[in-house]
Parts: sequence; structure tokens; C-alpha cells
Amino acid sequence: MNAAAAATTYSLAPVRPFGLCIDVSARRGIISLCYPTTESFGSWKIAAHRRSGLLVICRDASKTGKVKNEKKKKKKMSTETNSKEDDKMEVPEVQVSQQELSSSVSVMKRLDDVNPVGLGRRSRQIFDEVWRKFSGLGQISRTTRTNDETSLLIGEGGPMCEFAIPGAQNTTVLVVGATSRVGRIVVRKLMLRGYTVKALVRKADKDVVDMLPTSVEIITGDVGDPSSLKPAVEGCNKIIYCSTARSSITGDLNRVDNQGVYNIAKAFQDYNNQLAQLRAGKSSKSKLLIAKFKSADSLHGWEVRQGTYFQDVIASKYDGGIDAKFEYTENGDAIFSGYVFTRGGYVELIKKLTLPLGSTLDRYEGLVLSVGGNGRSYVLILEAGPSADKAQSKVYFARISTKAGFCRVRVPFSSFRPVKPDDPPLDPFLAHTLVIRFEPRRQRPVEVPTGVTQDLRSFKLILEYVKALPTGQETDFILVSCTGSGIEPSRREQVLKAKKAGEDSLRKSGLGYTIVRPGPLMEEPGGQRALIFDQGNRISQGISCADVADICVKALHDSTARNKSFDVCYESVAEPGKQLYELVAHLPDKANNYLTPALSVLETNT
Amino acid sequence: MASTLVLLHHASPHYHQNMPAIISPLNFNNQQLQNYSLLSWRHTLLPPNSNNININALLLSASASSNAIPGGIRTRRRRGGRMLRCKAANLAPGTPVRQTSILVVGATGTLGRQIVRRALDEGYDVRCLVRPRPAPADFLRDWGATVVNADLSKPETIPATLLGIHTVIDCATGRPEEPIKTVDWEGKVALIQCAKAMGVQKFVFFSIHNCDKHPEVPLMEIKFCTETFLRDIGLNHIIIRLCGFMQGLIGQYAVPILEEKSVWGTDAPTRIAYMDTQDIARLTFIALRNENINGKLLTFAGPRAWTTQEVITLCERLAGQDANVTTVPVSILRLTRQLTRLFEWTNDVADRLAFSEVLTSDTVFSVAMAETYSLLGVDGKDIITLEKYLQDYFTNILKKLKDLKAQSKQTDIYF
Repeated sequence: MNAAAAATTYSLAPVRPFGLCIDVSARRGIISLCYPTTESFGSWKIAAHRRSGLLVICRDASKTGKVKNEKKKKKKMSTETNSKEDDKMEVPEVQVSQQELSSSVSVMKRLDDVNPVGLGRRSRQIFDEVWRKFSGLGQISRTTRTNDETSLLIGEGGPMCEFAIPGAQNTTVLVVGATSRVGRIVVRKLMLRGYTVKALVRKADKDVVDMLPTSVEIITGDVGDPSSLKPAVEGCNKIIYCSTARSSITGDLNRVDNQGVYNIAKAFQDYNNQLAQLRAGKSSKSKLLIAKFKSADSLHGWEVRQGTYFQDVIASKYDGGIDAKFEYTENGDAIFSGYVFTRGGYVELIKKLTLPLGSTLDRYEGLVLSVGGNGRSYVLILEAGPSADKAQSKVYFARISTKAGFCRVRVPFSSFRPVKPDDPPLDPFLAHTLVIRFEPRRQRPVEVPTGVTQDLRSFKLILEYVKALPTGQETDFILVSCTGSGIEPSRREQVLKAKKAGEDSLRKSGLGYTIVRPGPLMEEPGGQRALIFDQGNRISQGISCADVADICVKALHDSTARNKSFDVCYESVAEPGKQLYELVAHLPDKANNYLTPALSVLETNT
Repeated sequence: MASTLVLLHHASPHYHQNMPAIISPLNFNNQQLQNYSLLSWRHTLLPPNSNNININALLLSASASSNAIPGGIRTRRRRGGRMLRCKAANLAPGTPVRQTSILVVGATGTLGRQIVRRALDEGYDVRCLVRPRPAPADFLRDWGATVVNADLSKPETIPATLLGIHTVIDCATGRPEEPIKTVDWEGKVALIQCAKAMGVQKFVFFSIHNCDKHPEVPLMEIKFCTETFLRDIGLNHIIIRLCGFMQGLIGQYAVPILEEKSVWGTDAPTRIAYMDTQDIARLTFIALRNENINGKLLTFAGPRAWTTQEVITLCERLAGQDANVTTVPVSILRLTRQLTRLFEWTNDVADRLAFSEVLTSDTVFSVAMAETYSLLGVDGKDIITLEKYLQDYFTNILKKLKDLKAQSKQTDIYF
């Protein structure tokens, strides 16, 4: 590395072309002075690169100051070093070039010792060094050229850089809509923080390429075209979606704001699944299998029970009969079916949860059920409490609806509510029993071909599996949506509808999401005014693109941002006494992270 | 004349709202020229009156002649008519210059790169004026800035870079190996005039603390003259005077101490209030957005002023090893300066040693910052101290070295 640097400085010093010329030929052991000295820079550079390997040897052979110093440092730094190891370390670097040049090394050594030009150069280097230091003494605020070592720390992504973020080095972020007003700033911010950035653009024109930083990987694709998205999501850890429809034509809106989000989320989820498969279910993205109904044996442990909400005799008057069974059919389906004609009656399927060793449900954020049937809704019940004492168990429920035919239902643990309102919220760690209950109340008829009568009191539920969804600490997908203020009224509804559909498909995707709905965007520098974070369409002010970008980048590693949707805008300067809401407002600053406290009070899974 | 028109051509009306401002550089009259002639560097600092193409020379000579000779007035009137037509054309609605578009001059320097990063992070569209060079400044483009090639010592390259620019931030200083005058004076004058002519709306200029007190130091005198020039030309501006950069100390003291090389220091009792360039950049942008600071002179200084010896002692303590210090008495520096001054060909060297004059005069290079902090609305506690800065540096570098060692051991096993 140092050798390459040294070589470049040689080649860049036009004052000494003659010295260079001799230098090159001498090192090769060819004594000729006809090396072209008036070439363009390109070829000089090539020459420098070709030589860089050689320089290592020369320095090594002649044991000049720098190498020695480096070695000394290494020795000093280690506590249990033996010099043997150090020597071994140096060998591989040198060996490659040594093969072709072993013969010329000795020639070189001798030549260097007697070469008057070489001697002169060396003495001049020493003098230059001393002079540089000497004259540097008289400086006050002049810049000193930073060398490799310091730029490592202060430079891009180094820990001394105020923008540096610990997780950034290993994170690849896909920015969709990298040329949009927000996207451009997002890309820059990510680059400053040391992320690896991929940018999805529609056309890789020169304008577009010039607009993006040079080391951003540009991928051409269209969010409306699912097939073009596979290469885009490959290798990505996170996605920031800031693209928006250019026009408010319904087709455009639907393609970008709705279908686009769905396509990207799907491609990303597919990619994650592929990763999970590669690691045979051991990856952190893998779901935990709770039950899979693929044989008659797998029904073991599931128990059918029936009951009624009315504990008195009156109930029996309305007893129309309850019947339910859970069986494994010849087709390979596990079917829970029956009917409940009794008023206030219900049937349920009970299973004591047995988890594989080492897994606990608190590392998971919800359940996913793959079910089919005739589209009734059910109540999922989790009993939680110390496993030793069942009497202390508390009961939590969540209502799920299915549709006719197969579907997957996601139930986050956070949507379980305690049956007794005073109980604390569900702690998944303590959950020990899972119940799927059918009750004829509050059923909605599903769409069936006309002529078929359906009795809402009968049900059929085909169970395929029950799995727990892995939790993530961080958000995977950040969507920049909009609040709708600032759009011309005639179009607002349409735009909002498309955006809303996009948001919904993201929420359903199973990715950890953050949906940012900024007020009308303004092109001005960020970090100037306090921001308001809110849920519920109450904001009125605009916000600068830079602030939106900042929120996106901060949210990448913020666990409080996961699975949240929120509106954000500048703080409105209201007249005293007329403040509309009580919210957390913070001025963005180097030292404080305003996002965490602001988001921690907002509701998740919104 | 011809060149002025070229300039107009460059400043396409589509990009600039307040083009009428182009008339005002002509008001730069003889009286102001006389002001400059009072300065000690008069003969050298005045733009050369030769016939090389120089915006500066052209504008000055145009105004001078038009004021002096009656015929000149006629020409001026005629040209004034042309200008007015120009003005009329500019009343047509053009694209307003975006507030977020800035040009950073000297973007590859220690301060410049921090300015660029800060600007990018705050959502500005940053254009960097960079000298055409064989090894292009790729890191700037990597952060998302646009790089344009121009050279301050070639004024004809400047106007194109200023198109559509709202604010110019100038943190350039000539390299040590080149004559100070070309870039730092003539180049800057050309840049400022051009900015004025093209309707740039704000100009931020970085100067040196106490530059008005040391006219014997060429760089400081040039900075002071540039400050005066900027004030007189009537461009909306902020001047920020700086004391010293913490980043400079790394190369000067910290690295040599870690590498067990000799550290050179002087016995001068001068104290310098070093400041982190990242803090300078942060404060600069706060000042830039504050309309109350327009036209003001700010001085940024670090929380505490340090002598060279104190810095070296601090580094030694943090690195956990003794430095091999070579102390050069200031008197030797001065002597060398006197010697090098004798010869024409060593004059540049003498200029560079000129700071020894400052060093010997036992100054404290610092100012009280309380007022500036309150003006900017910044908490003084957010400004990093030198102890903290160097401590961070040493903790990080020692950790890094350890990691590197661990890595190289690991690869050993795989081999």
C-alpha cells in the first residue's frame, strides 16, 4: 500500500524525469536510458503500478527507514510477539514479485549503492524531510497533508468522523428513487456515513450517473416491473423507498406508489427467504415452526373442546347443538370443522406450546398461520403465565379473519389484548398454550357464488402450519409516503388512495417497516427547525427534504422506528394558548438523537 | 471590454435573478484604489496593469478610465445603455437560484472537506471548485458533491463555475510550494469580482485571526486585504477568522510520537486555540443561514489556547510514550528568514517562514467565544476540546492498530 503511494509520487514529480527514467530501468536490471519521459499521465500511472511490486522488494532488501519503522511498531504493539511471526507476515506480499525478479535483486542492490543519481535523490529526500519539518514550525493554521493512517480515522466512515455509524460498514442499502428530491440527499447521507449504497434508477443516463456519487452501484430497473427488481435487492440489508409518481394519473400512481412498493417488498422478502433457506432455517430471518400438519401424527396434542359463554341454565334452552372435530383427511389436510348452533357457544382447538430447545417466543414478534377453509373469522387465544402454576395464567385474545381458500394470516403479539382489561400486556415469553376458537358471533358472510346458501354457524378450517415470525430489532424497509397536505384538492384523494394501498401492502409484507409521511417538501437545508412527529393526520406544516432524508437514515438502526408509521413536519409556531397538540419536538443536533425519544411515544404496527 | 461581454454571456439570465448587479463593479472607483495603495503591499497587491486577460484588470481599468477621461464617460454611457438592455432582458422570469446550491472553493483542504461533508449532510447541493489535476479528487464525488475544474490563477475559468450558485464558501489557501500572491490575492480578487458580477448572493470567506495586526506576514496581509476588498465591493458576505485546526496536530505531533520519530517544536510561548474543523464547519453553516450575521466578521477559536510544549506533553500522556522532541529556538527561525530574504530566489521560502514573526511576538491566538456562541445560538459545551479530540484519536488509533494485528494473525492461520 505504501509502495503504491510511493510509486505515484515518483511518477508525479515532473521535476525529476531523468532520475525516474534511470530508476525504472535500473530496477529492472536493464541499463537503458530510452524510457520515454514525455508521456501522458495515463501511461505514467501504468508504469507506476507495474513498478509498485518492485518497490516493495527494494525497500525490503535495502532496509530503508520506513519498513523498519513499521516493523518496530508492530513489535511494540504486540505483547507476545515473536519476530518469526512478523517475518512470516511479510513474506506473502513480497513473494509474488520476487519470483520474476529474484535474479535482478542483487544487481539492483549494487546499482543503488553506486548510482550517483540514486544517492543524490536519497540525500535530497532526507534534506526535504528536514526542511519540511523546519519550515512547518513557522506555520499557524496551515494544512498538513494527512497520510494514510490519519485518513483512516478521520476520513470516510472512520470512527473520528462525526457522521460515522457503527453498523454502517456492513450494511448495504438500496435506495429506490435515488434521483428524487429526498433520495438524492439520502444517498449522500448514506455515503458520508460509510454505507454501501445501491441505487435503483429507471434509466442510467449520463445526467443520472453524474448526479449520484461515484461508488454507488447503479441498477437500472423499474418498480413497476417485478422481474427487474431481483438484481436490485440482491445483497441488500435495507431498503429506503423515496420514489414517487411523476404525475397524478391513476395509472402512474398505481404503478409507482402502490404496485411499486408491493413489488419491491416482495422481491426483498423473496430474497430474505432464499437466504433463510440457504441456512436451513437457522438464519435470524427464519421463522420458528410451532406446528405443521403434514401427517396424522401431527394432530397429536391438539384437543377439541366446546363451551359456552353463558354458564347458567338458560343457555340450554337455546341449545341447538355443537359439534366439532379435528381430523386428518386422506388428501393430506388437517381439517377442523363443525358447527355451533348454540347461542353463545363456541368450539376451540387447544395445544400446549412446545418449543425447540433454546427458542423462546420473545425473540419472535408474532404468529403466522397458513390456513384455508370457508372464510370464517376465529379468535386466537394465548394463555400466558408461569408454567409451574397454571392458575395464574392470564388470557389474551386476537381476532383473525380468513378468506375462502388458502391464505396466510399474520398476528403480531402486540395485537393480543388481555381478556381482563386490567392485566398487563402479553409477554410472549410466558405464553404456554395456544387456542383457536370458533364462535358464531360476529361472522361476516364471504362472497360465494350466488345460489349457494351459507350458514355462518358452520365452519371449516384447514390448517397447514403455525409459525412464529422472527423479530427484528431494526426496520428493513423505509417508505417515504405523504400526508396529503399540499396536493391540489382535486387529485388528493387519488394520490392518497394509491399511497395508502402501498403502505398497506408494505405492512402486510412481514418486513420490518417504517413509514414516514412528511408534510409538503421544501428544498432548503435541514436541521434548522424543530420537528413534530405525530400519528393521525393532524399536521399542517411543510418540511425540508434534508430533514426527511435525515429521519430515513436515522431510522435505519433505530429499534423504536420499527413497524411505525408517522407524520412529520416542522413545528408550527402557534399563538400561545392555541397549541393543538402535545408532542415531542426536538431540534436535530450532532449530540442528541432526536428520533428515538420522538418515536418511542408513538404506537407500533400502525 | 470584450472580456466583460464574455462574462455577461456566461451569466445567462436564466439562472440569475439579480443580474442588474453587474453594473456595480464599475463603481469600484479610484478612491478605493487609493485605499489599497495605503497598504504596504501596494505595488504587488495591485492587479498587474499588463495586457494579460484578467477580469480584475479589465474591470479596474475600465472604471478608472471612464471616470478620468470625458471620452470615457461617453463610452460608459453607451455601455450603460447596453447594460440597461441587458437588465430589461433579465426582468423576464428565470429560474430562481436555489438557496441550497453552494460552491466550495478549496474543497480538498483540511477545512474544505469538512465543509463539503457538512453541507452535503444538511441537504445542500454542493459544487466544488477544484484545480484540474492528474489525480482527481474522487472522494468529493464519492460523497455526492459535483466537481468542476477551474483554477483561481486563471480567471477565465471562474465564471462558468458560478452559474446557478447561491452561496460561495471560500476556504482555499495556496499550497505551500506555490507563490502566495497568484492564488491568494489575484485569484481571490478575480473570484470575488466574478461572484459580484454574476449575482452570487452570499460569500463566506475564511481568514486568519489577528491578520490585521501582522502586515509583515504575507499570507496574513493578503487575507486582510481580501477582507477589506470583500467589504468594499458590496457583496453580501460573512468573514470568519480562524485560529488553528486540531486536525493539523495529528500529522505534526501525534503520528510522529506514535511512530517514534522525532517531533519538531519551537520554544515559542505563543498559545493557539485549536479548533476541530468539523465544529468550524457546523458553526459556519449556522452562521450562513442566520440573516443577522450578514456582513459581520466572526472569529472562531477553540475552548482553550495551547502552547506547542503543552500539546506535545498531552500527546505523550495519551500515547503512553515519550516523544523525541527536537526543539528549535525561534531565533533560528527568524535568522533563517532574514537570510532567505536576501535572495530573490528564496523569497517564497522567506514568506513561508514569516510566521516566526508572529511566534516571537508572544501572542495568545484566541478570542472569547461567549458572544459568538450566543449570536449563533450554540452551546459552548458542544464544541470539542483538544483533550477530548486527541483522546478520541489515540483510543481509536491504538484500537485500530490492535485490530490490524489481530487480522494479520488470522490470515496467518489460513495461509
